Amino acid sequence: MEKITVIYLDDQREVLATIGKDLAFFENLLNLEECETVDEAEQLMENLYSKGHYVALVISDHIMPGKNGVEFLSEINRDDRFEKTKKVLLTGLATHEDTITAINNANIQRYIEKPWKSEELVQLTRELITSYILENGIDYEPFMEVLDQNTLYHYLHQQS
Amino acid sequence: MKNIKLWVGILLPLIILAIPVESFGIEGLTVIEKRVIALFVFAAMFWILEPIPVYATSVLIIVLELIMVSDKGLILFRDADAANLGELISYKSIFSTFASPIILLFMGGFFLAMAATKYRLDQNLARIMLKPFGQNPKMVMMGLMIITALFSMFMSNTATTAMMLSILAPVLTYFPANDRGKIGFVLAIPVAANIGGIGTPIGTPPNAIALKYLTGEHYVSFGKWMSFGLPYAIVMLIIGWILLNVMYKTETPTIKLDIKGSFIKSTKANIVYATFVLTILLWLTDFIHGMNSYIVAMIPVGVFTATKIINKDDLKKISWDVLWLVSGGIALGLAMEQSGLALHLIESIPFENMSAILIIGLAATLTMVMANFMSNTATANLLMPIIAALGTTVESLLNIGGLTTVVIATAIAASMGMALPISTPPNALAHGTGLINTGQMARIGVIIAIIGLSLSFVVVYILKLTDF
Repeated sequence: MEKITVIYLDDQREVLATIGKDLAFFENLLNLEECETVDEAEQLMENLYSKGHYVALVISDHIMPGKNGVEFLSEINRDDRFEKTKKVLLTGLATHEDTITAINNANIQRYIEKPWKSEELVQLTRELITSYILENGIDYEPFMEVLDQNTLYHYLHQQS
Repeated sequence: MKNIKLWVGILLPLIILAIPVESFGIEGLTVIEKRVIALFVFAAMFWILEPIPVYATSVLIIVLELIMVSDKGLILFRDADAANLGELISYKSIFSTFASPIILLFMGGFFLAMAATKYRLDQNLARIMLKPFGQNPKMVMMGLMIITALFSMFMSNTATTAMMLSILAPVLTYFPANDRGKIGFVLAIPVAANIGGIGTPIGTPPNAIALKYLTGEHYVSFGKWMSFGLPYAIVMLIIGWILLNVMYKTETPTIKLDIKGSFIKSTKANIVYATFVLTILLWLTDFIHGMNSYIVAMIPVGVFTATKIINKDDLKKISWDVLWLVSGGIALGLAMEQSGLALHLIESIPFENMSAILIIGLAATLTMVMANFMSNTATANLLMPIIAALGTTVESLLNIGGLTTVVIATAIAASMGMALPISTPPNALAHGTGLINTGQMARIGVIIAIIGLSLSFVVVYILKLTDF
């Protein structure tokens, strides 16, 4: 089975713990990684890429010491190694301008405002993971349990 | 676990290669035939254990045949042991399995399905066809099953199931939590898709593999296949519908399915509609115009590429994995036939003393059981060459229709493997809804398979009576 990773990034440990609890549902089939800094996340992504693992989804906070979330996600967006990686901004403190940059430059798939609902995070993770798996031609059957059925139906219907 | 499977699949054929020909106890066995036995064991192990994807195994079969048993293969394999080397197989005939008429027939089917999906013909047809069934749950289920079965005769069973589940899923959330009717509805879709696939030669790959062995005097046209496939599918659908209604009665009084949209009225869409109708008409009227099903299948390919209805990007979406999976099966059959192995094997087993009914019964049951645990197509790939050889040689079988009878019974049996979520992709999708469990799927799957196999014997018996 292919190794598929979800990375979540926040400078506050409590937030990471909450996200971790929300995403626990995926832990049997996906590799969940938490990072406290952008540097750590960049290192990890390099590392995973060189091992041939897939980085399917990055969920990032915005306001952090050093590089902020929108800058980080924009960099991922420009990096052809992570062209298909799904990006989510999770923040309570993004300005109007940050939000525009996040959509136009970072090409984020979703924007979640803090505080968020657990089901909301689970559902969007399902949807984005499913799209990622299908778009990359990864054998989807082993991941059936965590896939979003509607996304799957739509994709399979389009196949001859 | 995966590594164990891989090594079993590699070592077993290597051991066979290492055993001297004389030790097999089959008189006159050649070195080439021994290599084909090793290839067959390799195919069987890899298709059953699946250490690599099934289509990849097919490609490997072709590559290994080219190197080990073809007339332009590795020189070592051509010169060795010249005394009883046997018949080398022409490399061109191995290559041509990639473009066998069967493969192109299937590709034509893909073009039709792709164009229909792209221009929403399938969704729109489903919408108008569902209307007359009203809102009574029993009738709606019948409507869903008829549409699913009809579409899966021309589209892949998987794409049909995906489309129908996407129509059904939103409605099921309105069912009361403890209403068992939901289970019936979810099961109805894969059951109908698996049954519907039997209806036409392009309905499901095992049918195409069967056609490969029905050539010359045994040739079965598109219309001829439908003349027994369609009535069979209708009877099985009715049985399935009754069973699901009895087993999973719903308490919901009405059910309303909502499909949005209207028929697209562009020139391209009109070309799609017209080509679809024309192709099917031509498939059914070969006795008038003389073009066989394979040639007719190229008409949509020509029309859709010329009109850019299927463009460059769409071409990349063709399921090459399905086509190559079948090619590998054809290549395996070719090697078994041309090396003489198929006949050799059958002559060395005393089938002559067995009754015809017993042989057909065993062949169909074995096929059905294997298809439950592995790909239906891979099952047909493995068993069809042997079963077809039986059909042409065993005296007792000739009295009940010979080749045509066993091959058709086997093709139907391959579609009857539907008791488990892993049996077919439609089953996996239905199971993925989370609304049914494996036990419920197995119950209906086993009952349908038993009735289906029995009914297939009736079908082939009628075919014999009518001198098909």
